Amino acid sequence: MESLLEFLIQGIVLGGLYALFAVGLTLIFGVLNVINVAHGEFFAVGGYILFCALVLLHLPAVLGVIASGLGAFLLGLAVYPLLIAPLNRRLGRRPAGSLYLVLTLGLSTFMQSSLLAIGGGDYRQVPPLVRGILEIGPTGVSYQRVLVLVVATILLAALFAFLRWHRQGLAVRAVSQNPEAAQAMGIHLARIFSLTLALGVALAGVGGALMAPLFNVYPAVGFPLTIKAFAITILGGMGNLAGALLASLIIGVAESMVVIVVPSQWQNGVAFLVMITVLLLRPQGLLGRAAVR
Amino acid sequence: MLEVAEVRSGYGRLEILQGVSLSVAPGTIVGVIGPNGAGKSTLLKTIFGYLAPYAGRITFENRSLVGLRPDQMLKLGAGFVAQAGGLFAEMTVHENLLLGGYDLASRRELAESVDAAYERFPRLRERRRQPAGSLSGGEQRALALARALVTRPRLLLLDEPSAALAPRFIDEVYAAIEALNRSGLALLIVEQNVEMILSVAHRVFVLDLGTNAFDGAPAELRQTDRIRRLYLGESRTESYAG
Repeated sequence: MESLLEFLIQGIVLGGLYALFAVGLTLIFGVLNVINVAHGEFFAVGGYILFCALVLLHLPAVLGVIASGLGAFLLGLAVYPLLIAPLNRRLGRRPAGSLYLVLTLGLSTFMQSSLLAIGGGDYRQVPPLVRGILEIGPTGVSYQRVLVLVVATILLAALFAFLRWHRQGLAVRAVSQNPEAAQAMGIHLARIFSLTLALGVALAGVGGALMAPLFNVYPAVGFPLTIKAFAITILGGMGNLAGALLASLIIGVAESMVVIVVPSQWQNGVAFLVMITVLLLRPQGLLGRAAVR
Repeated sequence: MLEVAEVRSGYGRLEILQGVSLSVAPGTIVGVIGPNGAGKSTLLKTIFGYLAPYAGRITFENRSLVGLRPDQMLKLGAGFVAQAGGLFAEMTVHENLLLGGYDLASRRELAESVDAAYERFPRLRERRRQPAGSLSGGEQRALALARALVTRPRLLLLDEPSAALAPRFIDEVYAAIEALNRSGLALLIVEQNVEMILSVAHRVFVLDLGTNAFDGAPAELRQTDRIRRLYLGESRTESYAG
């Protein structure tokens, strides 16, 4: 019973991290129709910025996490005008998704190589942002993991509130539903595309910072997470933010609990087994494909 | 107010408009009719900045519109309502109206404009929390009109406001259009429903294969045999007899 509770708590924490990552990926797909293969590299950038802030510059942890999100946000702002818009202009239209896939795969490899060149290939250890164990009945969970869950919850709630009530959030939703009509409202598409990309990868950057003390930091740290986030996105329904949130929690908890019944080597395969099953039985995902609502 | 002179435009290498000219005077309703593929919607999209013209001149209140994006047109005082309304179907009526005022600088101005839209179309206030996609066809067109009016444009471009509507809704939409015109708004309307547009327009342009085929008052158009046959569905015998 103790281990069941422990695995459940760890699964929810893992689900929180996945949500931070997959909701950003889903937001970008829902608005720009771009599957961002480089999403994991922004996670890695977040980790590296935290490493620099804490280990090299000895800044407070809060500043380090904010810098990670901000750094990823600023890098994300450059992706649309430097990569996606020129491709669209060259073709005279928005290309098929597969071309974006190749484009962001190139960005992913370039960012990994850049991180390798600048930071080296060593695993960088980052000290915990908070120390200690939170006792929950007969079991406990580290405050670092609790922090991941709390920050993920706050950021995702803020994102959903932004999309629901803020003028620019309404514009993001409008562009995801009908870009041509959005322009007739006075919405500058390029600005909204840039903002959406930046917001999406900023969530990954913060996730990378929060997880750095648990995962260590190296250039390819985010890539496996990107692949897993694809599975989560498909499970939730492509472009469906609520679906991504729900699927993140399901996959997080399933991965954590599965080791109770099968050897731990199977743990990483769970997400993909679920993805394949969902694709075969319900290709539109749990909540269906939808625009960013 | 709006001058379009010898405009050529289209999609990539496919030239649809081959030297179209028209003008809209302040406070008037101008109709554009023509068969499918004549370039009516292409004309509106070119005027509003969705398509860049290959050649020609487009001016609004003596300012060139060539090279401007649709989002910049709003600032100049022009609005656009797409075919079928171009609503954000999954967003509520109120959110659609708020987006209509996306360009307004102050929250107070936005609140006043949205309130004015509810005053003009009271049924929308009752439906304010409903998704736009759940409204009836007539209500959707009313919402599209109301949304386009939030920024108080001086010229409104409408792409087939009666398309896919039941007759009673068409009457409602055109009653609203006439009311808007009486308040001073100029409208450029592309329409398939020829009888309806002829009943409200002050001037009509007929496009055929991307060129001007007629320009004049609706009464003049009714007296032109070829145009009557083509666009008013009158038989050859009647036309010759007339």
